[in-house]
Amino acid sequence: MSDQTRNDDPVIVDGHRVLGVVPAKPPGGDRKEPKEQDLVFVWPHLLVRHAVSAMAILLIVLLISVFFDAPLKEIANPTITPNPEKAPWYFAALQELLAHFHPLVAGVLVPGALVIGLVALPYIDRSEYLQPRHRRIAVVTFSIFLAIWILLTIIGFAFRGPNWGWVWPWIEWHGEL
Amino acid sequence: MDLRDKPTGLDRLRRSEVGRSIWRAPDRATPRDRAAGHWSNFFLHIYPVKMQRREIGIRYSWYLGAMSTVLFGSLVASGIYLMFFYVPSPVQAYSNIQSIQTEVAFGQYIRNVHRWSAHLMVLIVAAHMARVFYRGAYKKPKEFNWVIGVVLLALTLLMSFTGYLLPWDQLAYWAVTVGTEMAAYVPFIGDTVREILLGGTTVGSATLLRFYVLHVAVLPTLIVLTLSIHLWRWRKDAMLEIDREEPDV
Repeated sequence: MSDQTRNDDPVIVDGHRVLGVVPAKPPGGDRKEPKEQDLVFVWPHLLVRHAVSAMAILLIVLLISVFFDAPLKEIANPTITPNPEKAPWYFAALQELLAHFHPLVAGVLVPGALVIGLVALPYIDRSEYLQPRHRRIAVVTFSIFLAIWILLTIIGFAFRGPNWGWVWPWIEWHGEL
Repeated sequence: MDLRDKPTGLDRLRRSEVGRSIWRAPDRATPRDRAAGHWSNFFLHIYPVKMQRREIGIRYSWYLGAMSTVLFGSLVASGIYLMFFYVPSPVQAYSNIQSIQTEVAFGQYIRNVHRWSAHLMVLIVAAHMARVFYRGAYKKPKEFNWVIGVVLLALTLLMSFTGYLLPWDQLAYWAVTVGTEMAAYVPFIGDTVREILLGGTTVGSATLLRFYVLHVAVLPTLIVLTLSIHLWRWRKDAMLEIDREEPDV
């Protein structure tokens, strides 16, 4: 931290000469290696990084919007049911589950357990370790659930066609955003 | 900011009578000045003054929380623009979207920004949650902030889902029909919840109005409130961590 070393400089502090006997610097100099726990000012160190990430994500959105138009189909018509009938992509995993299990399981028990599990997670996993290698059980469990959920989402979004039958997305495309 | 011998024009402005009334902490020479300047700035007050070096690097957070907030801002800005040209009734909604795309200045582009920001926000909020899990940032003392984060994820999904209906096209109509049918599977209260959401037994004009009010008034207010608590607690906990690591600071 540059401010710290400046303040520790025994000869000049904030432009004022300090009189007095000071111990000699060690031969290697008194330069400190920056440590991970060192405190740094949020402005500018974090704010510059946040500004760059903000501009990066905005640039992505603005570029996607140049090249891809938001979809707009025909006007809503309650008498014509499209086939397949798809929920938005973030509910595709649930819809896929509903195709395999009883609605009470897929529509209530599984999502309910997931929400309760997420809310309760910090109160279940009480170990003090932060690094993934010290908390294998928690990391493996979470990763399995996450992987299954991502897989189900991709299947429901891209691999399902008419009557919720299996399709290959590169042959027939039924995903809607 | 360096320690300077010669004050710049901005320094002189900050130290003037008017400058002092605006900035309160006009000096910018010492670390203490800088901390005081940060502390007295409205826009910086949602941040802690200092953080550990490891917490500000990209490998720690990937800045996903900041990106989610930025996308929310993009959605508010583009959404307000779209509100000027949209009426939530089955008679007008669809043709409003058509005229937004063909007649309104930058209408198609702003609609694209709104749509893609929304999808990206769902993705990035979910990624933020996963990242927080893997770095163990839900542990003491941040347990409750994780719970608030789960609430924010749910609000984000509801926000996206209510907005999905508004174009009133086939995609919107049937996606919402399927989505709300899932709610009906909840025993005892499911059908009631669905009817309250839809304002009837099928998606109709009452549904469109309800989803619109939820989308532009109720849910954004809830998100702003919940997000404020989320960020406030994040700052408090960051400072708590400093106290724990270095009791002398």
